[in-house]
Amino acid sequence: MKFRTKESVVPGFGLAFGTTMAILGLIVIIPLCSLVVFSANLSLADFWKTVTSPRVLSGYWVSVSTAFIASVVNAVVGLALAWTLVRYDFPGKRFIDGVIELPFALPTAVAGISLTHLTTENGWVGKFFLETFGLRIAYTRVGIVVALIFIGIPFVVRAVQPVLEKIDPQCEEAAFIMGASPRRTFWSAIFPEILPALISGFSLAFARCIGEYGSVVFIAGNIPYKTEIAPLLIMSQLQEFDYASAASIALVMLLIAFLILSVNAFVQSCVSKRGGGLA
Amino acid sequence: MKNKRSADDEKKGKWTRLALIAFCEIFLLIFLAIPLVYILCVAFREGWKVYYASISDEYAVKAAWLTARATAWAVGINTIFGLCAAWALTKFAFCGKKIISALIDLPVTVSPIIAGLIFVLTFGRQSFLYPYLEKWGIQIIFAEPGIVLATIFVTFPFISRELIPVLNAAGTDEEEAAALMGASAWTIFRKVTFPHIKWSLLYGIVLCSARAMGEFGAVSVLSGHLRGKTNTLPLYVELLYQGYDYTGAFAASSLLVVMTVVVLVLRVWLEKRGGKELDVQK
Amino acid sequence: MNENATPNSVELRGINKYYGDFAASRDVELSVAKGKLVALLGPSGSGKTTILRMIAGLEKQDSGDILIDGKVVNDVPGSERGIGFVFQSYALFRYMNVYDNIAFGLKVKKKSKDEIDARVKELLKLISCEGLEKRYPSQLSGGQRQRVAFARALAPNPRLLLLDEPFAAIDAKVRLELRSWLRQTINRLGITSIFVTHDQDEAIEVADEIIVTNKGRVEQIGPPKELYAKPATPFVAKFIGNSTIIEDYGKFRYFKSRGESSYAIVRPEFVSVYKRGENKYYQASAEEGTVVDVAFRGSNMEIRVDLLGSTLSTLRGINEPLVEVGERVDVFVHRLFTVSDDNVAILENETLRKESVVL
Repeated sequence: MKFRTKESVVPGFGLAFGTTMAILGLIVIIPLCSLVVFSANLSLADFWKTVTSPRVLSGYWVSVSTAFIASVVNAVVGLALAWTLVRYDFPGKRFIDGVIELPFALPTAVAGISLTHLTTENGWVGKFFLETFGLRIAYTRVGIVVALIFIGIPFVVRAVQPVLEKIDPQCEEAAFIMGASPRRTFWSAIFPEILPALISGFSLAFARCIGEYGSVVFIAGNIPYKTEIAPLLIMSQLQEFDYASAASIALVMLLIAFLILSVNAFVQSCVSKRGGGLA
Repeated sequence: MKNKRSADDEKKGKWTRLALIAFCEIFLLIFLAIPLVYILCVAFREGWKVYYASISDEYAVKAAWLTARATAWAVGINTIFGLCAAWALTKFAFCGKKIISALIDLPVTVSPIIAGLIFVLTFGRQSFLYPYLEKWGIQIIFAEPGIVLATIFVTFPFISRELIPVLNAAGTDEEEAAALMGASAWTIFRKVTFPHIKWSLLYGIVLCSARAMGEFGAVSVLSGHLRGKTNTLPLYVELLYQGYDYTGAFAASSLLVVMTVVVLVLRVWLEKRGGKELDVQK
Repeated sequence: MNENATPNSVELRGINKYYGDFAASRDVELSVAKGKLVALLGPSGSGKTTILRMIAGLEKQDSGDILIDGKVVNDVPGSERGIGFVFQSYALFRYMNVYDNIAFGLKVKKKSKDEIDARVKELLKLISCEGLEKRYPSQLSGGQRQRVAFARALAPNPRLLLLDEPFAAIDAKVRLELRSWLRQTINRLGITSIFVTHDQDEAIEVADEIIVTNKGRVEQIGPPKELYAKPATPFVAKFIGNSTIIEDYGKFRYFKSRGESSYAIVRPEFVSVYKRGENKYYQASAEEGTVVDVAFRGSNMEIRVDLLGSTLSTLRGINEPLVEVGERVDVFVHRLFTVSDDNVAILENETLRKESVVL
């Protein structure tokens, strides 16, 4: 098979492709390969012992469960936000549209210390919640979920927003003329259209939140078996220069992220085959 | 009957609208704005002088400079990469395009800690590269080059991902037309392709710098945490915070907050500007 | 050789081109004489655009030779073949104004500023777009864009002009104007031009010569009239004109079947319909048919008649007496194309042959 499937009159392929591959190789391919090479040298028994130790298992559980809850919350809230931003006009809309991106632009460590400090027993928000609901946020799993909601919100909004903007208003008008109630119109005409995008945003947020470190590590309190997240376990293995354990834990995390993204890719390909999706 | 129902619907619709807008504003206010304001409050709670002393601290300044250097590297490399990758992937047909795009997007989904880990494994003591690096006296991990590499990795797709959809939408006709008239690659890029991606490129650079300045996890793995040497601004914030110097930590954070706000304002401006251009040139 | 004395402007010899298993060109042989305006006509997917793109150097053939002005240009890059190319989408540079678009090719060739200015002014006049220099493509109408694309392709004085579906993106009314404008302009400039189209009216009206392609092969090359009167292959006979296929044409009076496997192609202009007793001349040899459908086509009426179980279509002037649906009429078939074993032949009505009436 020929490498270039079609010759082009446009010059400059060699230089552009060469530079692309050189940088891609140095930054992404070689480091990833070194993880694979290094893991290949691990003994299976050691690998299994590391990743099934109770502390590591609880780390995975904390990371995955909090990320899942946060992403579900984000899917619902993100959909409401995207809907409001696309469909309604209200004062400060531009400002709000800009603010959505804040968690993305704000350094994670800064978000982390700010959220932590706010939600401790003496912080503005922490005090309020403790006194009214008896709920502690900082240094509990609730805190982790709060931090992850903060991190994940732009993923969902930015995935759903463009699709919602593109929806043909005629579909809605057709449903309306046929006498469907607004709620029925939403569920039967609009929701199926944005579902693929919503799933896509959810998966991205989920995958991202499982690996999140900076914003979580401060608020979590890092109590083993309770609020110790998987990335932190890798970090502590690295600080002890136990690269084998670190790589083992990392491999399983990569696998989980890969699984989530594959499921999403599968869903998206089903949708595009059906030909109905806009995503 | 019918009329009554639609009137009811209208009323309901109005309430839904108001409820959604209120929810939206309150959620964003509590969730996104308060943390931001809070940082400034804590940073200034002991007065301007303490704040100034905190941010003009020798180590703070050095950390800021290191962050600036790492960011400059990341933006520079990623811009070159983004332009080349976008040009190669959208203007030519070759095998393995999908794999390359997947590899470009990969760094965003990898946990920052794992990003740090893979560089430790590549250039660390147990790597086969280590003897050579030692012989030539190059230190990568726990030193500045490691920080730079990690920063490039975590911001890797930010610029190319902005450019590729724009160039895909523009097609290759204009480039082919220019090539048929005998224009060189450089001329085609400068005169024909670049005007299409000007605003997206700027937007990508803005995003890339924001993330590069704020990267914490990956840099944290690769930094030696040496004050004044391998501490970036976010790491410095962590150091102060763990040392219970809250005012100092929040003061240093405020620098990053200012940068974030600048980025967001730039974002809105660029989108407006680029959007206007798009309307005219369509 | 005579061929070398006045070389053809373009010649393709044994061109093959495959995209995977799909044959875009199969043994394509064609030549275009200097100064001619030639149409590449065929249904979509017939390989006509591929031929054009190969001549331009935008695609490379798998085998065969392409000659421009008698020289093999297989390994000459498109930019050095001396061609002007007008893209289907025009591919105007969206971020350059009209002036810069037209001047681009000259600037690339490092012409002097005065020379460029003079040439651009000249072309603007040619396309009657003076005063639009500062406009961007987005601020032009479809027809103006097409003319600017035309001027841009002409600017560096190419020896060959290639146009890919030049009228496809323009609305119907402007398209008619542009057709005759393009024909006149190209004739005046005397530049050899090849354009691709799927619209037979367009090809017949604009081109000096038509190359009909189908499934990657060249079916026939010739002037429009010749294609019309003497189709070389069944495909051309069916594709050109508004044809009806009749399997058992032997049932018509005065037509003798040419064998079992043959069938006939009937065009509207081969058939005449008369009100009963209207035309004395053909009365004797006409057959009786029934009008099935009458459709007003503006300058004429399209009439479909049932004749011995086959539906034939014909045109009738609007000044002639009206016929109605269900009316019994005299139908006279002048001639048919008969197809047997991929050969096309004309079969005249026997009564016409006897009276030796000219076509």
